[in-house]
Amino acid sequence: MSARPPLLAVNGITKRFGGLVAVKDLSFSIAPGEILGLIGPNGSGKSTAMKLIMGIERPNAGAVHVEGTNVAGWPTHRIARAGVGIVFQHSRPLHRQTVLENITLGLLPDSLLRLIADHTVTEKAIAIAERVGLAGVLHRRPSTLPFADLRRLELAKAIARDPKVVLVDEPFAGLTTAEVHSFSALIEAFRAEGRAVLLVDHNVKSVAALVDRVLAMYLGERIAEGSAEDVMRNETVRRVYLGGSIEIAQRPAASAKTGTPLLDVRGVSVLYGKAQALENVSLQVHEGEFVSVVGLNGAGKTTLFNAISGLVPYAGRIGWAGASLAGRTAGAIARTGIVQCPESRELFGEMTVRENLDLGGQHQEAAASARQLDWLLNLFPILKDRQGQTARTLSGGEQQMLAIARALMMQPKLLILDEPTLGLAPVILEQISKALELLRNTTPITVLLGEQNVTFALPHADRVYVLEHARIVWEGDPGRFAREAGVGYL
Amino acid sequence: MQALQILVDGFAISALYALGAVGFTLIFGVSGVLNLSHGAIMVVAAMIAWYTAGSLHIGTYGGLVAGMAAGMITAFATYLLIVRPIQRSRAIAAEEKEIFVLTGTLLWGIMIQVLLAYAFTTNPISVRPLAPGVVNLVGVRTPVNEIVVAAVSWAVIGLLWLLVNRTRTGKALLAASINPRGLTLLGFELSRIYLLVWAIYGTLAGIAGVLLATFLGASSDNIGQLTASAFSIVVLGGLGSVSGSLIAAYVVGYLETMTAYLISPTIRSMPGLLLLVLVLYLRPQGLLGRR
Amino acid sequence: MAARATRVGLVALATVAVAATLPLWVSSYILGVLTLAYYFGVFAMSWDLLFGFAGEVNFGPTFLTGLGAYAAGMLNSFLNWPIVPCVIAGGVVALAGGVLLALPALKLHGPYFGLVTLNAVLLLQQLIVVFAGATGGEIGLTIPSVLSIDAGPNYEYALGFMAVSGALLYGLSRSPAGLILQASGQDSIEAAALGFNVTKHKLAAFCVSALFSGLAGAMLVFYLGTASVGSVVDIAVGVQVIIAAVLGGRRTILGAVIGAVFLLGAAEVLRPLGQLSTFVVSGIALLAILFFPNGLMGYALHGSER
Repeated sequence: MSARPPLLAVNGITKRFGGLVAVKDLSFSIAPGEILGLIGPNGSGKSTAMKLIMGIERPNAGAVHVEGTNVAGWPTHRIARAGVGIVFQHSRPLHRQTVLENITLGLLPDSLLRLIADHTVTEKAIAIAERVGLAGVLHRRPSTLPFADLRRLELAKAIARDPKVVLVDEPFAGLTTAEVHSFSALIEAFRAEGRAVLLVDHNVKSVAALVDRVLAMYLGERIAEGSAEDVMRNETVRRVYLGGSIEIAQRPAASAKTGTPLLDVRGVSVLYGKAQALENVSLQVHEGEFVSVVGLNGAGKTTLFNAISGLVPYAGRIGWAGASLAGRTAGAIARTGIVQCPESRELFGEMTVRENLDLGGQHQEAAASARQLDWLLNLFPILKDRQGQTARTLSGGEQQMLAIARALMMQPKLLILDEPTLGLAPVILEQISKALELLRNTTPITVLLGEQNVTFALPHADRVYVLEHARIVWEGDPGRFAREAGVGYL
Repeated sequence: MQALQILVDGFAISALYALGAVGFTLIFGVSGVLNLSHGAIMVVAAMIAWYTAGSLHIGTYGGLVAGMAAGMITAFATYLLIVRPIQRSRAIAAEEKEIFVLTGTLLWGIMIQVLLAYAFTTNPISVRPLAPGVVNLVGVRTPVNEIVVAAVSWAVIGLLWLLVNRTRTGKALLAASINPRGLTLLGFELSRIYLLVWAIYGTLAGIAGVLLATFLGASSDNIGQLTASAFSIVVLGGLGSVSGSLIAAYVVGYLETMTAYLISPTIRSMPGLLLLVLVLYLRPQGLLGRR
Repeated sequence: MAARATRVGLVALATVAVAATLPLWVSSYILGVLTLAYYFGVFAMSWDLLFGFAGEVNFGPTFLTGLGAYAAGMLNSFLNWPIVPCVIAGGVVALAGGVLLALPALKLHGPYFGLVTLNAVLLLQQLIVVFAGATGGEIGLTIPSVLSIDAGPNYEYALGFMAVSGALLYGLSRSPAGLILQASGQDSIEAAALGFNVTKHKLAAFCVSALFSGLAGAMLVFYLGTASVGSVVDIAVGVQVIIAAVLGGRRTILGAVIGAVFLLGAAEVLRPLGQLSTFVVSGIALLAILFFPNGLMGYALHGSER
């Protein structure tokens, strides 16, 4: 790289939301004709960093230089006019306008007085549409277009802005291999045109081929920077993203589970608008089993669990103890014994710990409920101490314990845990891990765990599924996983 | 002395306003709806109470019960015929649902207002006081009924507080206003909770309407002003905050009473409206607002 | 889509041409109803511009129409200004009111803004009653000048005013400026990311909406010969404006006129029902919201496509 001054130079930006530090003293720069990958899991701060550059959030400290000018604190539209373009993760077209009108918008100056349509603008818009592959759908409305075309439209809008710096959020999410190919070509064209490109993603693998450099983030800070291979091999990165080296703890040998599975997911597919969130997923959980579903953010774990819990519509069949769950309300499914502890925890923030737990026990018989409450307060002693405290004021780890305890108050037959370890310190992970082990050994509970932290997911599991880009790509026991899939996972 | 008169009258009026406002806030907090037919529900209750007590000869107390029931039924009708269909409609975009519900309840309120005017004319009606007589309260000659109105209002508010904070059902209602999805995950059916909340709201509005009829009288012409007062109070106090509504009810109640006594009764609602504009400019979330 | 706009424009032009001939073969009673409907149509079109394009629900359009009406009426009544300057003044006063309304709108969202607009109308109403000496209070203000005493010329004035307003508002909505407005209203973050100062454009939308509302309110006053709360300020009138725009089809601008004609026509047809006519009309509007939220013209243009 020649020593050209960077087009984008971020210097020590910090962003706080109340007590939470989302981005801490982040610095990096991108030269013209360079593509930088900003990688990190959910909660790492990468999306916030992108919003800070675009002005959608204001940094508490630091500077953002675009071609030498500090734009930190400017309103979004001024930063856009200064030469920064953004392609959002979720397509946001104007639904009542045609494709052509959407692209035209990107070409218009910010004027109140443009009352006559300019045909040179229209011609330019058509040219851009042709470049991204939308020439055939110029006069269609976004609601009639397939997912990939909506993403093309987002790229077209960015191209129309003729930006010096392009920010792209999760460029390939939801695309087929062929589509990934054509999108990569479009992004490479940005590089060839001398623009600076920032690709934000949670997965190095998916952008490795495209980027010149990678910067890995965790909990708001930079943890590694370098070439894609270097970052993927970096110790800190592997520990923090994967949870460390993969070990299988000594467990009593699981007896072979045969017979009708308790939970039988068959060929389930889910569409979010146009995006395929789950594709033909099949999975079984037998009574008493502990099954882990391993996958990165965005792989589809939450969608799978929401389908099982009846919170999203799906195609396919989900069977419970032989009968189909179709047609039951989410509340009914929970009362049947399928209890989910979601990634977002969904606690009642303004109510106390005790009130949260009591609500969990409302549908149980009073005496059983009281016994369960006792047992849980002993399982999680810290909750016993903080019974009268408002849930919102608990720490992240305590909130997670409360969420799990509350779910257990329902005396579930199947407990679904979605990413319980997200953002938690190792000490808390240990406590939760011990609690799960106790649960496994002393109760007949069946558990379905969804995790990207493999170190946490494996020790307790009888079987493991790997979910990647909406599909199940691997199934087997934890030992085999360590040998086969573990290495290429990141 | 006039100051004491204002103090006493203001207290009773504010109590009544508080009762209505608490219901309005409850519906917003749990169901997410700003019900612009609120005044209509109150006046239906008032008129049914008057009509049944008088023309159907079931006596004052019978009329009160009938009025309360009418309030509850009208509230249910509002939910089942207007609010729920709009909320579930697939033809309306999610971002526009709130506005359509607002417009829908506004139209429904107008329809009720016209029906009431047609059936009962716009002449104000009043129901016989719950308790006759006049007492001397801190030197002010106050009708016993006025004291009863204030007492009943606060008793009902107190009962509601007990319900929400001390019963299992009440806790579920509170939880629904904080996190409906969380409640579903715990096995509760939200549809049933919404029905319950509207039933409670209808009862509250019904009681408020009936009390109003015994105290100040009611007519279909009051409907707009009643709704306006309720939402002024609720926005002032902070949408979704019950304690905020209570405080705001007293602020607005006293402002109105003072204006009526010291300036003119015809523009009694003006200071409240001005205050509302000020608050919306300076602190849109109200005194104790959450959302 | 440019082709469709031209088609709509041609159909509209033809309709106006036909409408202009109405005085030759229609009774003055019907002309009267249509005259009122045309002014209402401009109220509704202005509302639609604000809602459909800037995404703001104005629950008190009569704040703006009332300001225009009373400003024009008072200038004519007390200072004896001729009609044209009064109408222009009415538009300007309403414009100022629009800016006043825009300020909180640009900070508030959702129901809060709606409440401010509703409040503005109630306050205006109270002010008119308080200063009854100057405004005529509840009874209203008698206006010395009128556009004409005959139904025919009044009708043509209304039609002409409505046609010109409609052309300007529709043209604005289809222009690049209108496209930016739509983006600002639909997705302000995306609009900002594309480099548009959303605040500036929404303020402009308020000004345009207010100007036309005020002009229409002023014209109406010189048709009716009086300015009163019941005709230009009351919440009920405001609700009718909203119903007209929603019935006709949000975001179509021209649909608002169809809605207004339908609404006032229906009210006339239902007049024998007396008070209940409001009930029936509100009921129809409610059914429309539940089953045809896109309105008459909305369905004509797009079917049930979202």
